[in-house]
Amino acid sequence: MKTFLNAVLICLIMIPATMLAQTQVSGTVTDQADAMPLPGVNILIKGTSRGASTDFDGNFTIEVSQGETIVVSYVGYRTQEIIYTGQATIDVALVEDAAQLDEVVLIGYGSTTKQDATGVVEQVSSEEFNKGAIVAPQQLIAGKAAGVRVTPGGGAAGEGGEIRIRGGASLSASNAPLIVIDGLPIDQRGGAQGSRNALNAINPEDIKDFVVLKDASATAIYGSRASNGVILITTKKGRANQPLKLEYGLQVSTRRVANTVDVLNADQFTTIALANGVDPSELGTANTDWQDELFTTGVGAIHNVTASKGYENFNFRINFNHASQEGPLQDLYERNGLNTSFEHRFLDNDLKVTLIAKAVRDEFDYENGGALGAATRFDPTQPIRDASGAFTQYGAGAPLAPANPLWSIANENFTSRQTIDRFISNLNIDYRFWFLPELKFNLNAGVDYAENDGFRFVRANPNNPDAFDTNEVSNGLNRNTNLDFTFNYKKEIESLNTKVDLMVGHAFQEFYIQSFVDRQSNITLVDTNIERNALESYFARASFDIADKYLISAVIRTDGSSRFSEDNRWGTFPGVSVGWKIMNEPWMEDSFFSNLKIRGGWGVTGQQEIGPNYGFLGVYTPSRNDAANIQFGFVPGTEDPRFITTIRPEGFDSNIKWEETTQYNAGIEFGFFNNRLSGTIDGYYRETDDLLSFVPVPAGANLTDLLLTNIGSVTSRGLEIALNGVIVQNDDFNWDSNFNVTFQEQEITQLSLNDAGGFQQQVGGISGGVGNTIQLLRPGFDPTTFFVFRQVYDDNGNPIQGAYVDVNGDNQITEADRQPYKKATPDAFIGFTNNFSYKNLDLNFTFRGSFGNHVYNNNASDTGNLNSITNQPGYIANAHASFLDTNFSSQELFSDYYIERADFVRLDNISLGYTIPFDKITLRTSLTATNVFVITDYSGLDPEIGNGIENSPYPRTRDIVLGLNLTF
Amino acid sequence: MKTKYLNFKAMMKRTTVFLCVAFLSLVMVQSCADRLELQPEDERLVGDAAFEDPAAYEQFLAKLYAGISLSGQEGPAGSPDLAGLDEGFSNYLRLYWKMQELTTDEAIIGWNDGTIQDLHNQVWTSGNEFIRTMYSRIMYQVALCNEYLRQTTDGKLDSRGVDADLRAEIQIYRAEARFLRALSYWHAMDLFANPPFVTEEDPIGAFLPPQIQRSDLFAYIESELLDIIGDMAQANADPVVYYGRADRAAAWMLLAKLYLNAEVYTGTARYADALTYVNNVIGAGYSIDTSVPYFHSFLADNSSNGAESEVIFTIPFDGLRTQAFGGMTFMTHAPVGGTMNDVATSFFGINGGWFGLRTTPTFVELFPGEENSDDGRALIWTDGQNRDIMTVSMFTDGYGLFKYRNVDVEGNQGSDTSGDHTDIDFPMFRLADAYLMYAEIVARGAGGDANTAATYVNMLRERAYGDTSGNISAGDITLDFVLDERGRELYWEAHRRTDLIRFNQFSDNGVWQWKGGVQPGTTTESFRDIMPIPETDLGLNTNLEQNPGY
Repeated sequence: MKTFLNAVLICLIMIPATMLAQTQVSGTVTDQADAMPLPGVNILIKGTSRGASTDFDGNFTIEVSQGETIVVSYVGYRTQEIIYTGQATIDVALVEDAAQLDEVVLIGYGSTTKQDATGVVEQVSSEEFNKGAIVAPQQLIAGKAAGVRVTPGGGAAGEGGEIRIRGGASLSASNAPLIVIDGLPIDQRGGAQGSRNALNAINPEDIKDFVVLKDASATAIYGSRASNGVILITTKKGRANQPLKLEYGLQVSTRRVANTVDVLNADQFTTIALANGVDPSELGTANTDWQDELFTTGVGAIHNVTASKGYENFNFRINFNHASQEGPLQDLYERNGLNTSFEHRFLDNDLKVTLIAKAVRDEFDYENGGALGAATRFDPTQPIRDASGAFTQYGAGAPLAPANPLWSIANENFTSRQTIDRFISNLNIDYRFWFLPELKFNLNAGVDYAENDGFRFVRANPNNPDAFDTNEVSNGLNRNTNLDFTFNYKKEIESLNTKVDLMVGHAFQEFYIQSFVDRQSNITLVDTNIERNALESYFARASFDIADKYLISAVIRTDGSSRFSEDNRWGTFPGVSVGWKIMNEPWMEDSFFSNLKIRGGWGVTGQQEIGPNYGFLGVYTPSRNDAANIQFGFVPGTEDPRFITTIRPEGFDSNIKWEETTQYNAGIEFGFFNNRLSGTIDGYYRETDDLLSFVPVPAGANLTDLLLTNIGSVTSRGLEIALNGVIVQNDDFNWDSNFNVTFQEQEITQLSLNDAGGFQQQVGGISGGVGNTIQLLRPGFDPTTFFVFRQVYDDNGNPIQGAYVDVNGDNQITEADRQPYKKATPDAFIGFTNNFSYKNLDLNFTFRGSFGNHVYNNNASDTGNLNSITNQPGYIANAHASFLDTNFSSQELFSDYYIERADFVRLDNISLGYTIPFDKITLRTSLTATNVFVITDYSGLDPEIGNGIENSPYPRTRDIVLGLNLTF
Repeated sequence: MKTKYLNFKAMMKRTTVFLCVAFLSLVMVQSCADRLELQPEDERLVGDAAFEDPAAYEQFLAKLYAGISLSGQEGPAGSPDLAGLDEGFSNYLRLYWKMQELTTDEAIIGWNDGTIQDLHNQVWTSGNEFIRTMYSRIMYQVALCNEYLRQTTDGKLDSRGVDADLRAEIQIYRAEARFLRALSYWHAMDLFANPPFVTEEDPIGAFLPPQIQRSDLFAYIESELLDIIGDMAQANADPVVYYGRADRAAAWMLLAKLYLNAEVYTGTARYADALTYVNNVIGAGYSIDTSVPYFHSFLADNSSNGAESEVIFTIPFDGLRTQAFGGMTFMTHAPVGGTMNDVATSFFGINGGWFGLRTTPTFVELFPGEENSDDGRALIWTDGQNRDIMTVSMFTDGYGLFKYRNVDVEGNQGSDTSGDHTDIDFPMFRLADAYLMYAEIVARGAGGDANTAATYVNMLRERAYGDTSGNISAGDITLDFVLDERGRELYWEAHRRTDLIRFNQFSDNGVWQWKGGVQPGTTTESFRDIMPIPETDLGLNTNLEQNPGY
């Protein structure tokens, strides 16, 4: 045995020694367009591990033998191959690749090139990002990718946005995609508590690109977390042999709300109140627009200082970021982040160690959201302050009345702060086995650790003299540790004319969340909650590229989740995809196309982001505070009641298991005119079964009324079209354009433990009475379908109060007459971006649009009636201006009158920039405006509302941003 | 020769790295296989661990009682038991009260919460969320009781090594759990007639429980109560231990109510049996002190101001320790509005009214002299209120009732100085009810003695009038009188719907404002004597059949 090993070792050592003698050759790589040297270009001897990269002046040196092929590749340029035949120097001029077909894209535990990708993988790089003073990474890609809908949040400071890839696959479980940052999958619950948008921990300036994995054949490699798509975020790194580069960026911004809720002004209010029996003495004489008074102009500044440098074996990038953003409601978000990345290559580039480490402090000073609703309700005839200088209030006897909104946001009456310290780090080891260069080992050890610490103070209700202040401290800890490794074997089998790429891997990830709250008011709540869950996975992928024409790729992942019982713990998720690079067929050589590829895929993915961690176990919960106790008799010898703490058995489903999504995808990629016009078209069909739904459980069968269980199915289908065009391309003037459109529809096909029809569930809570809902889940309908009475109108087209279509003809208007009607999700949405540059001047803008979506105007339905003025518990309040149209005396919450078309086109972003290239410094200035205008028929605040219910949200803002970038 | 691969040092390095990698991979795969077995690490407990503390048996029993008074594990709201409706609305007592009162002449509500007004209008459908949540709440309570019985079997107690003293105690607890289950099944039978039926023999999961017919459920409740009486605490048990808990008298009272309504439930009258248990209750030592005014029974200190001597089974609340937005917090706040709100703190002991509940003129007319009656039970607020209800949402339409007030007999506010939650204990069963049941049996000619009945009724009326001026004679005790007297004595105590149905005055007889959905009121169809099985459960549970008419 020993002899054999020795023999093997000797062979391994001797093989390279027997190779032909090599000579050293050098050369320069330039850009063909401007003959400027290109630094950091990869030079590789084909079929070996010998490589080099160009220095700052584009120079390289490499050892090469006669007849070997030198491969020169650089991101964004066409790769060139040169056969070494003894040239003295090798100078290469690279040509920019319009469609960047060779661009390397990540696909999860590995990478491929655009032209070899068989799944639906879309990359959005930093140069395509939305401009502006953006603090939330997800806003960078709003409108940029087909099938990806980013609904920006409201105008609050540090607000993020909701990402939906292909609309999401689930009903009650999470619909958020899995986000992987530099190889570390982030907790789908956010990864940090106390943050308005946990993704803010990533500095947008630090992001190199987003890769969106959309279809199941691509996402199946992430198995049980992949049903809603996967987003891979890569942060910027330094480059080898790169001279020190210093950058400073500054963006200053102002932020104002773009629209306010349409309520009665003081004159209208007074007229209506007096005409309806309000005692004139109850009215004031002021004319206060409470919303105008409430909102201020927020200012913000973002600073980025970045240093990067590369040596032969080592490079780094260090970024310091300070961002502050004020919301119009006097809320504040601040971020101080240090983002570092280090890459070191050892053993002649066989071992590469990459460390990224980010330390971020996020601070949120939250607004008092209650002031938003109060500002639409507070009596407009009252002044902000009374004669004595104190804030006007309704006062004692009206404890349910709104508090003066300006009083509410004053610092001495409301404070809510959270400080989040977060550390995200990933160590990546990439090792190429010296005896088998085709085999690589890759390991990721990552940690995402966050601590939050917060304080909240709420002054007692000013309309209740006996009320108590609330003081609350809260803190928490989130820890996400990940360890995964893969073995990757890549080889070109020339005899079969096939490139083979094989990968196997294992991953273990654990999430630990601890939260503590201590709330002191008239009652005390002190509670600690601990959640831990873990996921273990085995996965593999095999990809073949046959004759550079036929692609086939298969993935499989087996996941074990601690959230399910032993019987259901493990799930297997496969995916298969194929592609045909038609362009590479000989008969296509003279065709009209410059690129043509078709591909198809199928995959099964899962969903385990279900909320509770121990949903399969019978858990007992004790009383969480001293106000939920029960009297059993008296303390002996006294008259004091004896109070008992209770314990409650929780409902559970021991059979709970994965939600499974099957998805089919077919797509075509094409390019014309040397790829100056290129595009992709994808169609998909998706079916989610064993839907994890929070549904009513048969009464008596469990220890709850709504249980999270596997029930029902949803299907969705869609068509995504993306077009890219380089319309003008010459020395001075360039114009390129990107348009994407997505058509989608979703339908519940089953929603019950059995096949009995007729089951439905009302969802979509609204304000204006407790427990009211406006949407329903019913088989055959979209999950955001509204559920309303059909309004009857008079001859003048005005709605008649209480007159609805008697659908079942029983001469009564009851619950049975409510009908499914319209839906909140769009049928189609678009993104349209244009970039112009003329010499050093550049202009770009992005439109986003949405069609077929509807919004329920809850602000109008709740308070657009006389009762909201005259019949309030102990006070008079303002009404929504829709009352002037409807003249409703009381709420008609379920009238379809309030369901409005909310198609819109928004100029999301427009930015004008000017670059001044000084001798040693490049200076770039820019002016950006966001949310410039919205074209819509919707009468409310803003037509873009995720769930389709407008209910005093924080209004969106219009931002003006001045940017300055210096590069040394 | 210039090959790097011969460099011995480099090779050693590579080999070392390779071995480390191989070793590390092995370790990692090995170490995490068992790390998927996770259990709660905070206060929550799983399985037998939850019962390691002997106090757990009492704490779990307390949860069964809390099922009626509280809405979740955090007071007044938070960590709710039920998720299908707003937590405050999902409280058992609040929902039961709405089912029993809003559907009748005693109460109307001005709010616009979902289908709440359909209750008074008697136009509810199987989609009504209040009916649905009542149903869910009742069945949840049954499921809780079942779980209690499953967790306290002899087998379980043996395996946990529970000592003899605690075991004896647990036998009483088990009897109370079965009483509470019988109470909830009675509510289910009364409201829904034919509910799903589950016992401790069933598992926990997402299975489809069978439907039980009303008469079978009647037999089950009867047999359960008869079976547990021997295990329960003595009637009128020592309040030091049993205040807030059910004893034998509570079980007798429930049996008596079962028999009194037997004709409605099964078609066969059982008045003689009713009389037996009414007499048991009356003979158990409860008393009415006619010198303590009627309204004292509904004040913050009603556990100690003398009114408690007649209480058979109470649901205790406490302004600080037993808080919920249902129960007495609702019953105290919701009727306050208009000019009542001006004295919310001083007179009602709360921080403000919720401007919801009023009563109909039909109820006011039960009192001789109506709103100016000498009957001390006519706690009718007229100031600023109109007698008639023209607009339901207008709080000032309809007289108010100021029965529940969170102040003590001295007028001091209850323990929650913020004025949110009240100290008033809800008298679910009290002696006055038993007296009137006796009188009713007499009026039905089904036994008992008319003079005794008159004595009983006059005890109530002496307390109500403060003297004998309101007394009646044996001859006055007719069925109509008994129904009206039950209204006068027991209004807003969640009896009215059951009473009206027993007297056939609920649906196709009896008219009050807004009944039938029209202002003057109209009769409705008799199928409304039974509530619909909620359509959600019908859709889920194919074993269920809808009640006729829906």
